Amino acid sequence: MLYALSKSLGSEEGFAEVKASLTSPLAKIVVWGLLSSLLYHLVAGIRHLIMDAGVGETLEGGKLGSKIIIAVSLVLIVLAGVWIW
Amino acid sequence: MVTSVTNLSRSGLYDWMAQRVSAVVLAAYFIFLIGYLIAHPGIDFATWHGLFSHTGMRIFSLLAFVALGAHAWVGMWTIATDYLTPMALGSSATAVRFLFQAVCGIAMFAYFVWGVQILWGI
Repeated sequence: MLYALSKSLGSEEGFAEVKASLTSPLAKIVVWGLLSSLLYHLVAGIRHLIMDAGVGETLEGGKLGSKIIIAVSLVLIVLAGVWIW
Repeated sequence: MVTSVTNLSRSGLYDWMAQRVSAVVLAAYFIFLIGYLIAHPGIDFATWHGLFSHTGMRIFSLLAFVALGAHAWVGMWTIATDYLTPMALGSSATAVRFLFQAVCGIAMFAYFVWGVQILWGI
């Protein structure tokens, strides 16, 4: 990813090359995969912060919270897929 | 009490805090970046280059690189001390864990230097 950042910022040709390489179906799946992991990590991390604040720390709260983050992540992951394609 | 020497700040409480502060920085950075890309569909080179030429964006990116290094280090330290234990690996556990953490540390340092090079090289 840093290589892509470097290339896309280095020159106009590099930018066009990175952009073109991201249009293949395989690249899109890889980007979707990376983005999905990031989104899930982000949502679960926000839940961690909420639990640090003392919200949802009971057993029931924990179970409900884990269901909520899976649901929210799924929605975001589907939206990310729509965005990429 | 055994003093922990491989965690980031030699205090679990500081590491806990570093993990959360870096998390908030990274969340802000990625939400901004994804939002920017959504707001600029079919972005061209000039816009993209302009974004990263901006001093504010460079500082934000640098902050995100530092946060990424710290966040990844605390995360990997947690994994290593949870799973690369004598109970799982026997007597070589400490050596294995030291090597693993050394590789993590070098990787994070390399990413950071590379990131700085990109930001100030454009």
